[in-house]
This record gives sequence, C-alpha cells and structure tokens, in this order.
Amino acid sequence: MAISTVARVGAMAALTALALTACSTGGSEAPGAAGGDCAPSDGPVTLTFTSWLPGVEEAVAIWNEENPDIQVEVQTGPNGNGGTYQNFFNQLEAGNAPDLGQIEFDAMPNFRVQDGLENIAACEGILEAEDQFVPWTWSQVTFGEEDAVYAIPQDTGPMAMFYRADLFEAAGIPVPTTWEEYQAAAAQIREQGGYINNFSQSDINAFAGLVWQAGGEWFANDGEQWEVNLTGEETTRVAEYWQGLIDEDLVAVYPPWTDEWNAAYNSSEIWTWVSAVWGANTIASGAPDTAGNWAVAPMPQWEAGESAAGNWGGSTTAVLKGSDHPYEAAQFALWLNTDADALTAMNKTANIYPATIEGADLPVFGEGVEFYGGQKIYEVFAEAGNNVDPDFTWGPTMTQVYNDVADGFSGAVSGSGTLLEALQSGQSSTIDALKAAAIPVKE
Amino acid sequence: MTDTAVRKSRGIRHRGALAVFLVPFGALFALFYVIPIGYAVYQSLLVVERDGTFGPAVQVFGGLTQYIAVFENEAFWSSIGRVLLFGVVQVPIMLGVALILALLLDSPLVRGSKFFRLAFFAPYAVPSVIAAIMWGFLYSPNLSPFTGVTQTVDFLSAESVLWSIANVVTWVYVGYNMLIIYSALLAIPSEIYEAARLDGASQFRIAWSIKIPLVVPALVLTGIFSIIGTLQLLAEPQVFQSFSSAVTSTFTPNLTIYSTASIPNISLAAAMSVVLALATFVLSFTVLKLTQRRTAA
Repeated sequence: MAISTVARVGAMAALTALALTACSTGGSEAPGAAGGDCAPSDGPVTLTFTSWLPGVEEAVAIWNEENPDIQVEVQTGPNGNGGTYQNFFNQLEAGNAPDLGQIEFDAMPNFRVQDGLENIAACEGILEAEDQFVPWTWSQVTFGEEDAVYAIPQDTGPMAMFYRADLFEAAGIPVPTTWEEYQAAAAQIREQGGYINNFSQSDINAFAGLVWQAGGEWFANDGEQWEVNLTGEETTRVAEYWQGLIDEDLVAVYPPWTDEWNAAYNSSEIWTWVSAVWGANTIASGAPDTAGNWAVAPMPQWEAGESAAGNWGGSTTAVLKGSDHPYEAAQFALWLNTDADALTAMNKTANIYPATIEGADLPVFGEGVEFYGGQKIYEVFAEAGNNVDPDFTWGPTMTQVYNDVADGFSGAVSGSGTLLEALQSGQSSTIDALKAAAIPVKE
Repeated sequence: MTDTAVRKSRGIRHRGALAVFLVPFGALFALFYVIPIGYAVYQSLLVVERDGTFGPAVQVFGGLTQYIAVFENEAFWSSIGRVLLFGVVQVPIMLGVALILALLLDSPLVRGSKFFRLAFFAPYAVPSVIAAIMWGFLYSPNLSPFTGVTQTVDFLSAESVLWSIANVVTWVYVGYNMLIIYSALLAIPSEIYEAARLDGASQFRIAWSIKIPLVVPALVLTGIFSIIGTLQLLAEPQVFQSFSSAVTSTFTPNLTIYSTASIPNISLAAAMSVVLALATFVLSFTVLKLTQRRTAA
C-alpha cells in the first residue's frame, strides 16, 4: 500500500487523458452467454495482469517459470479506488482491458453492473474449486448464482486492532477489549499527548468494516431491486461513537495514506490502528522506527464478551471482459490464489491472508512476526476471519459511495457537519447514482 | 506567357504546398481535437437502460437528459462557484505581480535583468504536479521544513486550502505571464521613451503613462489564458487531496467530472465537460469584448 504520491498522481493524469479520448466499441453487443464454452487457445499465449499488490511479481515469476507457454505480464497501478478501477472502466469501454485484474470484493458488483467480468464457470476446474475457498468469499464472486463464477477470491481482510504494546504497558493503560474501554483509553492517551487512533476520513471501506462488525448492512439485492441503507441503526451507532471521539479531540484526523500519516505512526503519536490483516505490511513499511513494539489484539467489542469482527478489503483476481484467452487466464487466477508457493510469496511481500481454507494452515501463518515482537499475529486474524458475518452485500456503485461519504467525512473532521449527516447525504446521492445508471432501487 | 498565366501556375503550385503543410496539422487537429469533442458531445446525449439488478446496460439516445442532470447537480455548480471565486482573487494578483516584475525587468535602473528574467520564469519549467507536491510538503504541519509556521497556521484547512492552492498556481504561472508582458514592453519603440524623457517624465511616470497602457493587449491575453486555466484547475487540487482532507472529490469542475467518470457515469461526465467548455468560452469571450470596448473608448 505504499504507493508514492508521484506515481498516483501520474497515473491519475494519464487516466484523465484516457478518459477524455477513450473510444467506444459500441457497448450494444449482448453480454457473454453465462457458462458458455471456455476452450484453451492454440500455441503460446501472453496474458496481462494488473494488480497493486506489493511484490506480486514474485509469485507471477514462479508461474512463468513453470508455464513457458502461458506467460503473464504484470502491470502495477495505484490501489483500486485510487485509480486502477477507473483505468479498468476506461479500458473496458475502449476494448483493451488487461486479461486479468485485481478487483476487491466491494467493487465486484460495480464491475458486474458495468458488464466488465468474464464468466469463467465453464473453464476447466473452476466450478470444482468452490470447496477450496472460505464460503463467504465464494458467494461474493458468484453473486449466489448457479453456473456463474466471475473471479477467483484472493485474500480476505479480517480486522483486528494493531496497538503499541510498549506504550500501553509503560502508561499502565489496559488494552481495551470493548469500544467503551477504547474510549476511556483514548482519553488517557490524550492526556499523555498522543492519540489512540487516526480517523481515516477517506477510508470509507474501513468505516464499512466497523459497521460490518456492529452487524450493519449497507446494501441488499433481492434480485428485483437494490435497497440502500447507509443510515441504519448500527451505522448510526458507529458514526455517533466516532463523532464523539472526533468532537473531543481524542483521535487524530490526518489524511490517510500520506507521509504525514506515516510520520504520525512512526513518531509514536498514534497508538493503535483498527485495521485489516494486510495493514500489518502498512505499519511495517510506514513506521519502521517502531519495529518490535507493536502487537495485535481482537477488535474492541460493542458488548463485552462478544467476538464479532469486521472485514476491510480482500481482493479477487478477475478475468476481464474481452480477454482473448479466458481459459488460460482462469487457470492462472486459480493457481495464483490456491498454490501454496504463490500464497506464501504474496504473504511475504504484501501480508495477504488467503481466501482458501487450506491457505490458513500454510507454515508461514504459524510463524511469529518480528515487527510485532514475534507474536503469531495470523492466529488473531484467523480467529477474526471466523467471526466475520458472511452475508455483507456490497452495492453496485461503491466508488461513488466512497467518494460522496468521504467528502462529507472530510467536512466532519474539519468541523462542518457530522459523520451521520455525511452518511445521510451519501444515502440520497447513492440512490440518485443508481437511478442515473438505470439500476432499479427502492426509494 | 501572360501575366495571368504566371499567376495561375504559381497559384496551383502554392495550393499543393498548402496541402502539404496543412495536412499534418489538419489530421492531428481532427484526431486529437475535433473527434474527441464530437465524441464527448455524442456521449453526452446517451442514457443507460437495463433490466433487473444486474441486467446488461444498453446505451440509448436520451436527448438532453444528461444536461438537465448537470443543471440539477449542486456539487458541479458549487465547484464552478469555487473556481470563479478563486479566479476573481488569484488572477488579478498574479497578473499584477507579473506586470510589476516585467516593468522592473524593463526598467534601466535594475541590474542583472537577464538573471532575474530566468529566475522568475524557472518555476514555469517545473511541471505543475511536481510544484503541487513540493508546496504540499512545504504546507504540511509536521513534514514542512518550516514547522514553526505550519504548526501555527494551518494552510491545509477547509478555509485556507483554496488560497494555498492559489499560491501554488501563482508561483508557477507568474513568470510565464511576466514574460509575455515583458516581450510586449520590448516591442515599444524607443522614440516614445525619448520623447517622454525630453518632456521630463520620471521612470515611474513613463511606466504609468506609457508602458502600462501599451501592454494592455498583453494583459488581456494573459487574463484570458488565466481565466481558462482557472476553470480547468485539476492537477493542483488533485495532488492536494493527498495532503488535505478539505479538498473533496468535487472541489473543482474538472475534479467533479473526473469523479463522475469514475462512478462510472461517462455520459453525465461528458455533459459536464461540454457545459464547462461552453461556460469557459462564454466567460473568455465576455472578458475580451468588455476589455476591447474599454480600450476603444
């Protein structure tokens, strides 16, 4: 996740240029017949694969070594909502999308609605692979349909609390296990000049993870129409809780993923981060001076004694519409996300936590991690993964939801409006966006 | 050979040369200007239709539906309002500074004008993205080399970030505008100055009564370029998004278009682009007409 500002901005500039000149192939042709045929290509093929996973090239190199006839070229980009999704949408419109792309679970419905995904159910071994994956991840890539597989799950993002074990111990503050204790600890930490956390005003998917933990649901799809509910009881509860912390200046409000934000962690100003498993890599690369001082505990709970967890992120490898070699692309996607060597390589470089059932038993997940004082942190995340509610549904325009709510959240942290008001305006703008895309939605 | 025959044959020869010189321009102009604009207009007239929650989308002709949506889009209009406010303040300041710098360079009293000319122009050679990143770091409360200042004044807050961006834009473009005005100053015939000096005019008086009135056309030109640039602000605010949470996804018209395209709602984004282009054209033309009338009178 350490994407340099320069690269991000450069990519955005390039994208803007693309957006202005993209040519259409005339999007009127019928979508690919579901579960149609999927035959191998003749002769050697080269596949293109766009991903933002740090070091994914290493896993791909293993495949290229073993499969001289199916070479995969990796193209890296900014993270999905940071530009790669828009790039994909433009490329799909122009008919020159890569064969394979990294797509997070929350963006799958968006790509499905835009008809950007190839149904690979008919490809050899794909339907049979279902048993290898954690059940909720598989339902995210099939949308619960028969004879349909739109991507191969890659990793999940079970959430837990990263915290500075050394600082908590030195200050004599107990590590919080409930959100109530968390707030109390926040006040004590503030007295010491630090902040317990940074409220990531633009990471709406992280906020969604908190809502997910609290049992909230933002979207529902009954097959007839979508229902949008950004202001339900659980969401309101989470929003009011964090609004309280912001109002009392108990959390920092640095824009996330910036050098300023890294510096705040690196200088020990911020003591915890409630984040997903891949966040382990973010802290280690962003705050190298704090090595060895971190530990991982389960997320604080709304009710003492519970063990609910949220999920933030997690990706799939999708075969994008228009690929000339769906068979080979599907084989690669399946290999990348089930092969023990590939999963180990991706964990080493990007701390991903695989979506396969067996993946959790790989030796690497039983090892202690030095940056976290030798703690076997993946055991905490494995436990969290089991406690994630499997039925959370993402809406078909999440990029727009994230943008609109983030605009409101940014206002809220700088004193204009509240988190709840931002969600309320996000609710109506989301319904408008669905209507504009002719997607049936309950008012 | 008669005179007309010579003229005629020469005319034909010229016509061939004309084509040779015009075709490369014409082709590129069509490819990168006319066709994309035409495509944007076409795209802006389409709407999406589909069946069911995951039904395939079909683009159909929708008339002015998207334009109605643009006029109902509050975020788009408030972003236009924001850049107009930006322009009203920033453009006069930038052109005023550019004019003063140009007059100083042109003044016989200033030494080392060649060095200063280059020094003032140098920021324009820095790509605006890099300039924005650099200033972003300078403004950052904890990373700036001037933390003493940035920790007392928050340059990146909701109230001040627009003016912090204005400062970056001014820093980049002031030298460019200065150079245009300066070259207009160089074109003023020296007899006029001689006459002025014979009449006993001071350097200040020469600048005020001769130089400034004579460079008004250059000021109008730079003014119009600046208005266009203001309405099209994109790179600087986009970079500032990674420094300040106050820069929203609808901060400027072009950012609004960018985030609309990323929904993706390409047709609405295309309609917004067309409206923005027309607004820019109308505004530039109005300024031109107004200033022409004033200079004529």
